[in-house]
Amino acid sequence: MNIEIEGLKKYYSNKMILNIDKLEIKEGSITGLIGPNGSGKTTLMRIVSGLDLDFKGTIRYNGSLLNEEIYKKMTLVTQKPYLFRRRVFENIEFPLKVRKVDRGIRRKKVEEIMERFQIEDLKDKKGHLLSGGESQKVSLARALIFEPELLLLDEPTSNIDPESIKIMEREIIRFNEETKGTVLIVTHNIDQAKRLCHSIINLEWGRVVS
Amino acid sequence: MAIDYIVEGFKEAVKLLIGFDKEVYEIIFLSLFVSISATVVSSIIFIPIGIHLGIKEFRWKRTLSRMLYTFMSIPSVVVGLLVSIMLSRRGPLGKFDLMYTPKAMIIAQTLLVAPLILGLTYSLAKNRGKEIEKIGKTLGAGRRDIILLIIRELKIDLIVNVVTAFSRAISEVGAVMIVGGNIKNRTRVITTTISMLKSMGDYPMAIALGIVLLLISFLVNSAIYKYTGDD
Repeated sequence: MNIEIEGLKKYYSNKMILNIDKLEIKEGSITGLIGPNGSGKTTLMRIVSGLDLDFKGTIRYNGSLLNEEIYKKMTLVTQKPYLFRRRVFENIEFPLKVRKVDRGIRRKKVEEIMERFQIEDLKDKKGHLLSGGESQKVSLARALIFEPELLLLDEPTSNIDPESIKIMEREIIRFNEETKGTVLIVTHNIDQAKRLCHSIINLEWGRVVS
Repeated sequence: MAIDYIVEGFKEAVKLLIGFDKEVYEIIFLSLFVSISATVVSSIIFIPIGIHLGIKEFRWKRTLSRMLYTFMSIPSVVVGLLVSIMLSRRGPLGKFDLMYTPKAMIIAQTLLVAPLILGLTYSLAKNRGKEIEKIGKTLGAGRRDIILLIIRELKIDLIVNVVTAFSRAISEVGAVMIVGGNIKNRTRVITTTISMLKSMGDYPMAIALGIVLLLISFLVNSAIYKYTGDD
C-alpha cells in the first residue's frame, strides 16, 4: 500500500504536534520512523492507522482517502499490546475470524504462525496473563496472520530478549518479502532500523528533518 | 415476651419451606420467573445499545449521561404507574388485555431495570470499551464484531451489572404491585406477599418469604463471586 501524506498538521490544545508538508511511503517498502520522545512518531502512526481522525491535511492510500475497506487492509501493533481475555490461539485467530475465513484454514494458519514465532507452548494460555515479551510476540503474530497490505509497528520489540527480537525481525522481513506488504516501524534502536529498513525518516518536533 | 412471636415466625417459616408448601413455592417461582425474564429481556436489548453509545462520540453525549444516571434511580412506583396507564383498558395498549398478568409485571420490571443496565453498560463501555474498540478496528473488525468483542472482553463486569439489575427487580414492590395487583395464584410475588402479610399481621409466611429473598441474594452473589474469582 502506497501512502501519500500532504499538508498534515495535528494540534493538541493549540500546540502543534505534527507538521508534515509532504511524505511518501512506498508500497512494498520497510520504512523506519525515528526521533526523540515527543517528536510525534506515535501520533503519526495513530493518524495513518485511522485511529486519530482529528487532523488537517490529506493522507491517501493507493490514491484513495481512508475508508472502512482500507481499514481492513492495515493493522497497528503497539509497544504495550492489548491481548484479549481468551486463549492465545483465539487471539491470533481473531483477524481471520472477522474476515470469515474457513475454520480449517484458520486453524492451519494459526498453527503455522505459532510455530514460526516459537510460541506453541502459549497456545492455551490466556492472552491477558502473558508477560510483556510474550504479549509482543503474540501481538505481532496476530497482526501478520491476515497478511495486511500495511503493517504499522510502534516500537514492537522494546523490552524483550535478543532471541525474541531476532525472531520478530525475521518475521517482519519474511512478511515484507513474501507478501510485498508495506511496513512502517517506529524504533529508538538505530541498529534495528538499519537491519530492517529500506529507508529511514527522522522526525523532530513534528517535522521530517531527514 | 415481645420477641416470642418473631421466634415463632421463624419456626413456622422453616416448616413452610421444608414442608414444600405449595403456595409459598408458587410465589417463589413466579418471582424468579418475572424478575429473570425482565432482566434477560432488558440485558439483550440494552447491553448492545449501552456499548454502542459508550464508545461512540456524538454531540449530546454529556446530556445523555446525565439523563441515564437520573433514570437509574427512577422509583418503581412511577414505572408501575406509567405501565398501568399504558396497559389499562383505556390506555393505548389496553386492547392486549395485559393488566394484572405476569406479562404486565415482566414489562414493568423490564422498564424498571432498563436504565440501570443501559447506564452501567454505557459507563463501562465509555471507560474501558474504547481501548478494545481500537484494537478491534486495527484487526479489521466491523461494528457488530466490535460490540461482540467488547461484550466478551467485559463479560465479568457486565455479569455483575446484570446481577445488580436482577437484584433491583426481585426486591422491588411498587411496580409489580400496581400492574400485577397481587392476585392470589396469579400475580402474587414475594415482595407483594410480604407487604400484604405484614398488614394482615401474618408473620410466619412473611418471614419465610423474607428468608427466601435473602437466600436468593446470597446464592446469586456466591455464584458471581465464584465465577469472577475463578477468572
